[in-house]
Amino acid sequence: MYATKQPSLRINQADLKCKNGCGYYGTANWNGYCSVCYRNAMEIERQNRPRSSQARPESSKNPVSEFTKFEEKKKQQTDKKTKCLKNLTVFRKSSSAADYVKPEKHINRRQVNPDADKLMTEFLCKYGHFEDNLRKDFLKCVHHFTNQLCREINVKPIDELAETAQKFYNLYNSRVNSNPLYQNLTPEVKADLEDFFEKHVMITLYSWLFCPSSTNDEEKDLSIQDRIRKLTWVNAQHLDCCISETSLEVRDLVFTAITDLLGMDSVKAPQEKLQCVVKCCRSVVEVLQQCQGGPVSADEFLPALIFVVLKANPARLKSNILYVTRFCKEARLMQGEGGYYFTNLCCAVSFIENLTAESLNLGEQEFDDYMSGRVTTVSAWDSALVACEGMHQLCEHLTLLKALKEQHVTIQEEKNKLMEDIKELKNHIKSEVASIFERTPLTIKPRKTPLPCQADSKPSTGSLMANVALAMQSADKSKLNLNITPCITATIPEKVLESLNSSVFDECNLESPEDNTNINAVLSKVNYEIDFSDLSTDTSTAEGLTPDKRISPTPSFTADPFSPIGANCCVTQEPLIPLSVPLQMPSGKESERKQNVSVFEDVTDNQEEETLLDKLDRVQDTPVTNLPLPLNPTKTEYTGFSKQGSKIPSIPCNTGDFHSLETSNSKRD
Amino acid sequence: MSAGPYNYSYIFKYIIIGDMGVGKSCLLHQFTEKKFMADCPHTIGVEFGTRIIEVSGQKIKLQIWDTAGQERFRAVTRSYYRGAAGALMVYDITRRSTYNHLSSWLTDTRNLTNPSTVIFLIGNKCDLEGQRDVTYEEASKFAEENGLLFVEASAKTGDNVEEAFLETAKKIYQSIQDGRLDLNAAESGVQHKPSQPGRTNLNGDQAGVKDNCAC
Repeated sequence: MYATKQPSLRINQADLKCKNGCGYYGTANWNGYCSVCYRNAMEIERQNRPRSSQARPESSKNPVSEFTKFEEKKKQQTDKKTKCLKNLTVFRKSSSAADYVKPEKHINRRQVNPDADKLMTEFLCKYGHFEDNLRKDFLKCVHHFTNQLCREINVKPIDELAETAQKFYNLYNSRVNSNPLYQNLTPEVKADLEDFFEKHVMITLYSWLFCPSSTNDEEKDLSIQDRIRKLTWVNAQHLDCCISETSLEVRDLVFTAITDLLGMDSVKAPQEKLQCVVKCCRSVVEVLQQCQGGPVSADEFLPALIFVVLKANPARLKSNILYVTRFCKEARLMQGEGGYYFTNLCCAVSFIENLTAESLNLGEQEFDDYMSGRVTTVSAWDSALVACEGMHQLCEHLTLLKALKEQHVTIQEEKNKLMEDIKELKNHIKSEVASIFERTPLTIKPRKTPLPCQADSKPSTGSLMANVALAMQSADKSKLNLNITPCITATIPEKVLESLNSSVFDECNLESPEDNTNINAVLSKVNYEIDFSDLSTDTSTAEGLTPDKRISPTPSFTADPFSPIGANCCVTQEPLIPLSVPLQMPSGKESERKQNVSVFEDVTDNQEEETLLDKLDRVQDTPVTNLPLPLNPTKTEYTGFSKQGSKIPSIPCNTGDFHSLETSNSKRD
Repeated sequence: MSAGPYNYSYIFKYIIIGDMGVGKSCLLHQFTEKKFMADCPHTIGVEFGTRIIEVSGQKIKLQIWDTAGQERFRAVTRSYYRGAAGALMVYDITRRSTYNHLSSWLTDTRNLTNPSTVIFLIGNKCDLEGQRDVTYEEASKFAEENGLLFVEASAKTGDNVEEAFLETAKKIYQSIQDGRLDLNAAESGVQHKPSQPGRTNLNGDQAGVKDNCAC
């Protein structure tokens, strides 16, 4: 035990080994022994204990000192068990049974039996509707049998226990068939009841009857396991069986068979174990049917089963087989599907145990090479197992791809459908729109055609030009004939710089301190005035413009003044004008500004306040003359515009953000 | 029809032995597949490798175990023999080697079964007369010398297949009647279903069921 050892940081390999020094690993659970040595130790302990309290025939004959001898005898008995099993007529010595004191621990253990509740539930579920007497009788028999076996478990060799069990099965069988309690039952129910009797008893006593410590079953398990491990190189060809190891379906079926066979160890009742074998064998038959087609004969079945057993290498195989052989109802093993397949399994196992070079059609040398591992083969099965993961992934991916392909096709179809739908919708909308147009002819384009100055206008800036033209018209109408230099930035700043010592012409610049002549101060004042007037003119001209449009020959516009197109026109129209200034005649607000600028130029150039003021007056006058025009028509119709109008000054004229306007224009078009 | 499997008095276990490829499985199939054919009254069981026949008014369930015939499995297939009431020893009349192996099969059977086991020699594939390799007389003589029943049959055409199985059953039943076969011994290969109280009612019911059987 590690606790008793000197505390050390590292545990040596030797510390992990069995205390007996047999070379296997031991565990703390087994007092530091390996499983085999622990079992032996417990055996010795058990031999010692009963001797003190009660006399046992075996132990009295075999003192502990001669333990090995005793073991040998046990082995001999086990070897003989098959013979003993056949002898059903052998009766248990009732006298000897009475001699043994019933060990209380069994009763306790039985009560603690984890399956007891499950069994009772199943019993009530199956037979709950039976008469009370019948149920009581059943349970009485079960308990009697269980107690009887319990008493004998540590006393008699396993073969005698098996005989006792068989005897009890027969006893219960005859009871069921003769006792008046059971006479109303159908044969099926009787058979079922007998089966449940067997199941109940065996599950209750499973831990004592399966692989009992008194036998060398475990050793056999280990040896067959080792044997099978050494025979991993055996493939279907060696066994002359037609399992195609590369086929995916076949491999799946073989895996099913292997799983069923492995499941045998996890169930408890002999009949359940038998059922696992049957399931496994049915899968094997299916494998063969898949591989060769048609009915399957034993000639092909047995090799296939051997192959499956070799590949499965089930845990505690031998223990399971022996347990079923001992405690399964004899009749069940002698007949029926279960019996047949179980016999086949026994044959397969004994074939594996006695396998020689000859039985695999191999040369002695070749066989030895394989067995010793000098020669290794990569069988299709092994490579399939190795490639299993990859293969599985491949298959999964293939299925995934297939699914995706299908999805793709459906998506394509749906896409096409959608396209058609869209086309249809488009046509539908087109026709709808066309019909609406027919009903209410709304065309904006005609409004451009009658406009002047179309020779200059490019097609892309059609509306811009139209606006410019409109502005021109308005300018014409206001009868403003101003000769203004087309480029503001080019002309003005130079001159301003000259006079005002390097400052861009601006309101701010005008305010900023300068070399200050009186004239400049005056000029700045003047400029403010101009600005104010400018704004007033701005609004007036802006308002003045749209009415012009309304008056313009476009009939549709007058028809629908509230349409967004109309509103947009109003917005676009204003800021576009300054941009067109260098190219076109100045108009609207900007034209006014230019006027101011030119006035300013004049002032800076000529320094004549009088003329400037005169000019300003003139400038201010012009919009006033223009004002009455727009305000006359229904002012309510101009809510949209007036809203926009407040924004107009914010639209940057200097930046020349022309694109957004243009795009919005083109969109409208 | 659920009561079907219980509607018989005896169960006889047969084994079919013989070299690989002599047609053991085919004979078995030929015999058991007939349970779906016209002779419905005789055939009730739908269990694995079984068929219910009638001998002297007694319903008998035949339980037939096919065995692997390869030489290499010879040593391990002994457990098949356990508790067989009848052994059908099959050879292929078109292959002499299968006939030559009969003596070893016979030795196995004699050693591994009880003395009352009925052994029936079947020369299969008698439909292939042109390829015959073993004469009828020769085989017949062999059977006579060893006290075997003998027939030449064809699993393909079904000739004599039924007869072979039925004849064996009759012989076994006779042994039971004579008391040569101990029914209590597990090794006898015969299981007797004792008549039970309420059995008559049951039989009546089953007869009704049988009449309604569509097959």
